[in-house]
Amino acid sequence: MERTHLSPYSNHHPTTAKPPPNHHPYPDPAATETSPDDDHKWASKLLRDCAQAISDKDSGKINHLLWMLNELSSPYGDCDQKLAYYFLQALFCKATESGQRCYKTLVNVADKSHCFDSARKLILKFQEVSPWTTFGHVASNGAILEAFDGESKLHIIDISNTLCTQWPTLLEALATRTDETPSLKLTVVVTAAMVRSVMKEITQRMEKFARLMGVPFAFNVINGSDKPLGKLSKQELGVQDDEAVVVNCIGALRRVEVEERGDVIRLFRALNPRVVTVVEEEADFTRSRGDFGTCFEECLRYYTLYFDMLEESFNPTSNERLMLERECSRSIVRVLSCDDEHNIGLGDCERREKGKQWCVRLNELFSPVAFSDDVVDDVKALLKRYRTGWSLASDQANTNTNMDSGILLAWKDEPVVWASAWKP
Amino acid sequence: MIEKLVLPEENIISNGCFTETNNNPPTKKRKRNLPGTPDPEAEVIALSPKTLMATNRFTCEICGKGFQRDQNLQLHRRGHNLPWKLKQRTSKEVRKRVYVCPEKSCVHNHPSRALGDLTGIKKHFCRKHGEKKWKCAKCSKCYAVQSDWKAHSKTCGTREYKCDCGTIFSRRDSFITHRAFCDALAEETARVTAASHFNNLVTPSRNINYHFVGPPAFQPLSFKPVPENPLDTTTRQDGLSLWTNNDLMNQLEYQTNWGVFGDKDDSSDHQVNAPSLFSTLNNLHHPTATATATMSATALLQKAAQMGSTSSTTTATNNHNHSSSFQGNFSSNITSSTAVGNVQDDRAFCGLYTTSPMMNNSCYGGEDMENGFSSLNEMYPPSKTRRIHIEEGQTRDFLGVGIQPIGHPRIRFDHV
Repeated sequence: MERTHLSPYSNHHPTTAKPPPNHHPYPDPAATETSPDDDHKWASKLLRDCAQAISDKDSGKINHLLWMLNELSSPYGDCDQKLAYYFLQALFCKATESGQRCYKTLVNVADKSHCFDSARKLILKFQEVSPWTTFGHVASNGAILEAFDGESKLHIIDISNTLCTQWPTLLEALATRTDETPSLKLTVVVTAAMVRSVMKEITQRMEKFARLMGVPFAFNVINGSDKPLGKLSKQELGVQDDEAVVVNCIGALRRVEVEERGDVIRLFRALNPRVVTVVEEEADFTRSRGDFGTCFEECLRYYTLYFDMLEESFNPTSNERLMLERECSRSIVRVLSCDDEHNIGLGDCERREKGKQWCVRLNELFSPVAFSDDVVDDVKALLKRYRTGWSLASDQANTNTNMDSGILLAWKDEPVVWASAWKP
Repeated sequence: MIEKLVLPEENIISNGCFTETNNNPPTKKRKRNLPGTPDPEAEVIALSPKTLMATNRFTCEICGKGFQRDQNLQLHRRGHNLPWKLKQRTSKEVRKRVYVCPEKSCVHNHPSRALGDLTGIKKHFCRKHGEKKWKCAKCSKCYAVQSDWKAHSKTCGTREYKCDCGTIFSRRDSFITHRAFCDALAEETARVTAASHFNNLVTPSRNINYHFVGPPAFQPLSFKPVPENPLDTTTRQDGLSLWTNNDLMNQLEYQTNWGVFGDKDDSSDHQVNAPSLFSTLNNLHHPTATATATMSATALLQKAAQMGSTSSTTTATNNHNHSSSFQGNFSSNITSSTAVGNVQDDRAFCGLYTTSPMMNNSCYGGEDMENGFSSLNEMYPPSKTRRIHIEEGQTRDFLGVGIQPIGHPRIRFDHV
């Protein structure tokens, strides 16, 4: 293969404009003819081939493909190059069985460089350009406000990964939309180490903001990483009998080890909440745990969507996008190259399940609550405020009940985020 | 809850309509009546919901045509070429009519809180007790009264929200979230402490148009009226003494009449009127928005909230709407511009808030007004400069850490 005209390094400068879609510097050895589509999708093909080789334990092919991917990939290039880069890392770890070590290192690195300012900037910018997280926020807040209607002592148990960015709008709504402003107690359960370090600042901001809004407010942070989430007790969470309780769980259930998810749902039930709002990303990395190939396919499908969404939402030279992409690398490594049996204690499982699957789990102890028309309208209005490409899909997939169990955010008609509400 | 203002001149109503006595010391006379404190001599009319909402209450006796408004009917009657005698209204002096709300649980159901205008009571009934049929397409906010909805639609999405840090938002939800996390919010405590050095920098003026030369030590406050504080009547006449005495207790005037919500601006007799203060201080960029453009971001945020929640706030006939919607709003109107001009008086000041549980002594001072505090800004450089950009550092660290590939020296995972 010619290498002289290969220039993977030319794309390393972050400000390089994205090469035109048809430009493909390397002939794909596997393709007999090149068409615009093929050019575009070389990464997925290569990655799939590599994954297949790993499944087949064909070490020669593995080496070759890994090397090729290394040549072609870059975190600064187009979507293909990025996907190639981040998946390459996971594939490499899988091939060399160094997933755990790699993951730990990634986590440590991220921990050290994490700080409130950067995290805040990142998430706020992300929310500005994409409804990925705000979708869940608006739906959940709507359901929460409706569940809390008429109550005066509110308690929200929040287990989420959005750094409390959901709550300012809720506080504002409590302050302005209700006749008598109720008091709110917010108990945040933190599992990820990175989040813990910024919680102090977040606490201050939340308290100040609540004061500004004039909402009587108490804010507690509970460390949820000492033991399995399902083992937390009502006392530890500070739940009192005269409170109206709501559990808000955004992007957090997937971080619970698969075997413990039932326990967590049981815990929620034991708190006797008015409503439980669950928001998760629509991907299935759980059922295919034993099957690397299937799991890989799903992973690739999901992250291709995600990277594509990021690319179209942010400016080409955005630093925030780069950081978000890097955050993915941890998840990808974790899912693809860390075998679950050896991973107890590694924390943050990242095995997503689709809405349908969560429904099965939740239906054991809860029944679904459809989002009211008002809330759905709010969500639709939210989506209008972003660039095109976003739409709302109703999750009709749950055939057990007649009710809609959740709504789905779709990017280019592919469901990506699932939001739902449940009551005991 | 809003403390109802009872004006000294209308204290005790003798014809029995009013059962409330004036428990509160008389406040400074306000030009506008509290919504729902009608003329004691007025005739109280109670209409059923059906009649109230009937569209053609005024009928022409000649041809039977129905009209929504009395004025329209009169106009129509002229067309009948009535002889002069019949042109006049019925001979007896028509008593002024006031209307009560048919909803039993409503505060305006009682004759003492009747509203003077038929249109007003209709709108009130719709707004408070009616179904919200009109929905904004952009933000899906609902309204019961069509005119409210129309008014909102005109402005929805057009307003801009400006944070203290200078960022401008077109979306309210982004603004709110940003505000909660903004460094400017965190820095207010620092500013308050410094602001304590500037106090009483006000020029006496009958209209109490304070010219701030320093930090907003005495920003007009919009805050929950605290009933426990008897207002010293002597301070009413001499506005200056309020300030110079540093008796912040006396500053707490009841702000039920916020010009910012489009109320007609009160005349100079008013004390501590937020909008006039701002308007004299700052150039209005958007004259139609009155104080909007000149308000601090926190107040903006709250105003935004209130603009959203109180439907049409510009109708003068709906003052009562203000008071009831203010209840929710006032608690949120404890703006951070709790004018803590003096740290030493903090305690006295904040003691005021012991009634409201959410207030504590960390009364952070006001945000800068948009103009005129360049000196302050220089002293307190924007928080942005403090932020450490470590994203670059992250770039370098990431993956540069010891993932040594085995047997594949060419595979590089760093991207420096």
